[in-house]
Amino acid sequence: MKADVLIIGAGPAGLTAAYEVAKTGLCVLIIDEHQQAGGQLWQQSQILALPDIFPNMRGFELAQFLVERLEGLAVEWLLGHRVIGVYEDGQIGVTNDKDVFPVFAEKIIIATGAAENAIPFPKWTLPGVMTIGAAQSVVNRDRVKPGSSAVIYGDNSFASDVCELLLSVEVNIVAIVKQNKQLGNSTFGDMNIPLYENSSIIEARGNGKLEEIDIQTPHGMITLKPDIVLIDGGQSPILDIVYQLDCALRYQAELGGWLPVYNHQLQTSKDHVYVTGNATGVSNHSALILTGMLAAASVCEALQSLPPEETEVVRNSLYSKLENEEESDTFSARKEHIKQFSTPQLKDQFIS
Amino acid sequence: MHIKEHPILGEQLNKPITIYLNEQPLEAYDNQSIAGALMANNVKKLGQSRKLVQARGMFCSKGRCCSCYMTVDGEDHVKTCMRKVRDGMKISEGLEDPELRRDIDEG
Ligand code: FES
Repeated sequence: MKADVLIIGAGPAGLTAAYEVAKTGLCVLIIDEHQQAGGQLWQQSQILALPDIFPNMRGFELAQFLVERLEGLAVEWLLGHRVIGVYEDGQIGVTNDKDVFPVFAEKIIIATGAAENAIPFPKWTLPGVMTIGAAQSVVNRDRVKPGSSAVIYGDNSFASDVCELLLSVEVNIVAIVKQNKQLGNSTFGDMNIPLYENSSIIEARGNGKLEEIDIQTPHGMITLKPDIVLIDGGQSPILDIVYQLDCALRYQAELGGWLPVYNHQLQTSKDHVYVTGNATGVSNHSALILTGMLAAASVCEALQSLPPEETEVVRNSLYSKLENEEESDTFSARKEHIKQFSTPQLKDQFIS
Repeated sequence: MHIKEHPILGEQLNKPITIYLNEQPLEAYDNQSIAGALMANNVKKLGQSRKLVQARGMFCSKGRCCSCYMTVDGEDHVKTCMRKVRDGMKISEGLEDPELRRDIDEG
């Protein structure tokens, strides 16, 4: 198979990039391991803050919008397919778990997103301990109550969205345990849920499934008996394909950990490979859309479907929107990451 | 428990089907994942770890952690958070390593 641009990942960033690239007349191939395009958006029922070119919508509404917007453009799909490697001549190896075949593209955009981190503690592998995102997808995708009483463990704002969702399907939230003291307001107060700050889960117990947990609080140890513990450990970029394409990496804690180095054009250390969305650093939904547009603009410039002067104007305006719309810490870490483009900490991982 | 009326997304569970966990019939609905449908039936333990023989269940629900492996219609190591239920499906716990070369040996 052949395309001008191969986009790996059909989440919000990949779908946005696909639209912007295809609009200029280039042909795009999108690959995603799921059978349905839209990525994690389908299970996101919360209202998302989006760049002002979009009305505010819920995650699943945005998925539908981004997919429908591609109708009539030169976009081909390989859904239910995965990238599993690179051939010697640079073609990309793709599989549907039955056959493997090569795909050739002039440019590649990595839009593989991010995955949730765990916060381990003794016996955290007991059934009933899961990520907070898993609880959200069980409720919204499977329409199943993950349990009847939950403890939420973590420090991130995503927890409050899922908290509301769980309460709305009558899951009782017994406690929220945070390792740090949050600066600013905690919304959990309004929901009347006991909040333990500067605390951590020190052990879980149960026979074949979670039955109780011990929590160390500044005022001593307490034992609770939830049937689920939901871990909110933040997210980190998914790097499988970054490794396979042999892109150089740097560590940037504020952006979620290890991630590919990239320049102002969102181009990685491999000239033909660009990166977008959470794979450029974990951020909010606005940033997913804006970096999708940024990577697309640079790819179009490189393939001459957009004139360079015009691209520079587009890029500058996207960067200033990004500066307004993402957390200032994230944006400064991103600027720092771009500055360090030529000094990666990990490169040439494959000795050939 | 199955959520019949979702507060934001409305109704969706309209086609009930039956799946079998170790021969025991359980109620599921079209379009649910296997792990999700089992969770609705209060089945949390989906398998056990090979080395320390400890219970394992759904963890990420995104197809990344491999904690939800089960045997489905004779196929070992199926990520049950990603595979959808089908009427009459036969499921058993993921207890050991699959025989990777089975078809080659038999062929
Ligand atoms: S629960 Fe993680 S892969 Fe299924």
